[in-house]
Amino acid sequence: MSDLWQGVLEKIDDYRWRIPKNYKAGMRVPGIIYADEKLLKDIRHDKAAEQVANVAFLPGIVRASLAMPDIHWGYGFPIGGVAATDADNGGVVSPGGVGYDINCGVRLLKTNFQFEEIKDKIKDLTYVLFSDIPAGLGSTGAIKVSAKEEKEILIQGAGWAVKRGYGTTDDLECTEERGAIAGADPSAVSDRAYDRGKAQSGTLGSGNHFLEVQMIDQLYDRDACDAFGLSEGQITLMIHSGSRGLGYQICDDYVKNMVHCLSKYQINVPDRQLACAPLDSEEGKSYLRAMKCAANYAWANRQCLMHLARLAFERFFKRSWQDMGMSLIYDVAHNIAKIEKYNIDGKEKTLCVHRKGATRAFGPGNPALPERYKKTGQPVIIPGDMGRNSYLLVGTKKAEEETFGSTCHGAGRLKSRAEATRTINFTELLKELEAKGITVKGSGRGTIVEEAPQAYKDVNDVVKVVHDAGISKRVCRMRPLGVIKG
Amino acid sequence: MAHHFCFNKSEHWVKKYELIEHTADLGIRVKGRDLKGLFQNVASSLFEIIARREEKKPCKKKEIKIKQSAQTREELLVNWLNELISLSATKNLIFCDFKIGRMDDSSLEAVVLGEPAQGYRLKTEVKAATYHELKLMQSKSGWQAEVIFDV
Repeated sequence: MSDLWQGVLEKIDDYRWRIPKNYKAGMRVPGIIYADEKLLKDIRHDKAAEQVANVAFLPGIVRASLAMPDIHWGYGFPIGGVAATDADNGGVVSPGGVGYDINCGVRLLKTNFQFEEIKDKIKDLTYVLFSDIPAGLGSTGAIKVSAKEEKEILIQGAGWAVKRGYGTTDDLECTEERGAIAGADPSAVSDRAYDRGKAQSGTLGSGNHFLEVQMIDQLYDRDACDAFGLSEGQITLMIHSGSRGLGYQICDDYVKNMVHCLSKYQINVPDRQLACAPLDSEEGKSYLRAMKCAANYAWANRQCLMHLARLAFERFFKRSWQDMGMSLIYDVAHNIAKIEKYNIDGKEKTLCVHRKGATRAFGPGNPALPERYKKTGQPVIIPGDMGRNSYLLVGTKKAEEETFGSTCHGAGRLKSRAEATRTINFTELLKELEAKGITVKGSGRGTIVEEAPQAYKDVNDVVKVVHDAGISKRVCRMRPLGVIKG
Repeated sequence: MAHHFCFNKSEHWVKKYELIEHTADLGIRVKGRDLKGLFQNVASSLFEIIARREEKKPCKKKEIKIKQSAQTREELLVNWLNELISLSATKNLIFCDFKIGRMDDSSLEAVVLGEPAQGYRLKTEVKAATYHELKLMQSKSGWQAEVIFDV
């Protein structure tokens, strides 16, 4: 993007910047961007900050339109945006505040392998994972389901997969919402959405979705690492995927419907992609019921993908996954709207928290957390690009007080896909990655180039901001060894 | 600005669409002689982005009738594109020919031809056409649209 964003950004402190409420007539609250001076320069290079101001128009928005340091230009909401709305104050829900890939998210598994033990096998292991896990455009699933089962998936989420033998109840405990959010109603999902989701269960998808074999290369919080059973050199596995065609169609169906709600409910927003409806309207309720179906489908999908990855490890190492210590650390959603309770000016309020490219980051003691994470706080998984790092963080009380329990979700794009394709050479890229000891397998050259490290901000910079701002805390850092791209 | 070219029926190079820079997603600028032509050109540009034909032999085309209605021209364009994206995914077809019959500012009827996706190399998963920065303009020489797709 050649033109710099020239809007007003007032410095609050080293990590917080305000777009004042009077920046644009119609803003109901200010915008607040979490970033340092370095990241702010990147943020000014596209229209993300303008989108932060646009989100501040949403009826019922509470406190501020927030943006995390990985913020970049999306459609409607910025990617990396957080907005909470209050149903008691005319609050709305916006499908664009969740996005087309509903419950796109990420999960992290540990193993009991050390890098030194398997360093010569990484390449072959990556090839086995690539052959056993359906990935890429138009891929169909290794796990077939009937029409009746598809409805069960929408209600039971990851629990459906566990009932089928694709995992354990322990996995569910280590998944946000135990892998199934209550209130999903399959009758709110169109036949077209069913059709579009069919045959895609257990597929990784394409674009920025991936499966990665990683090693822990730096510890930041030894107590938390001990609590999670993690040490330096340990091998981990990360899976990034979402609700595939089902989620896309649900979002499309409801945006189509809610564009008309803007005049029906006299809502003024500067971008029609912010189409929304009051939380207590039939349109708003119906969207949330359908969105929950897609969220549950995505949790089932990531559970199936993890199962396939465990089977691939079993096939490769000829040992059981339990014997290899492949337990799930946690699974988080980073495109979702959640109904959560917060204390606002001394009063408990039930809010709809939109996280569009943002991760829930609940602190220690939060009742939503399983017993095992009550002391540490919620594990927060931050995938980076395929050449640098990824992180495990924990949520904090400060996040609950400041950002509706939210933090960043990744590195954040820097270059457009077109620019990446123009400027990055596929063969050179593979050589560079190989020199770093990273094997990449993908179904298409195009996706690999579009997802090159140069196309992203440095996740280390992004995580430093959320850590220093106190809205999550670093636990450990991973680096990629084997990458499967869709 | 990247220009993408293709052969028209008389085998002359014609400019089909321009890419608009967008950090996370993909935007295109497309022209048409009239509104019908514009809608057809946006649709064929969309499927050029989605897939490239690799099968050399002619294959059996499937004909699908599409009816769309909307309150505005812009909405009609988004609905038209999203209907094509959605049908392409559910029927596993790549659309290659678009004939819009009856059309006004709030509705259209079209017949589109699709070929099995197996004969194509899929390049980009397009989730949807969005309203973000959507532009539909009439000029002296015809019509122009700018659309950002979620990819």
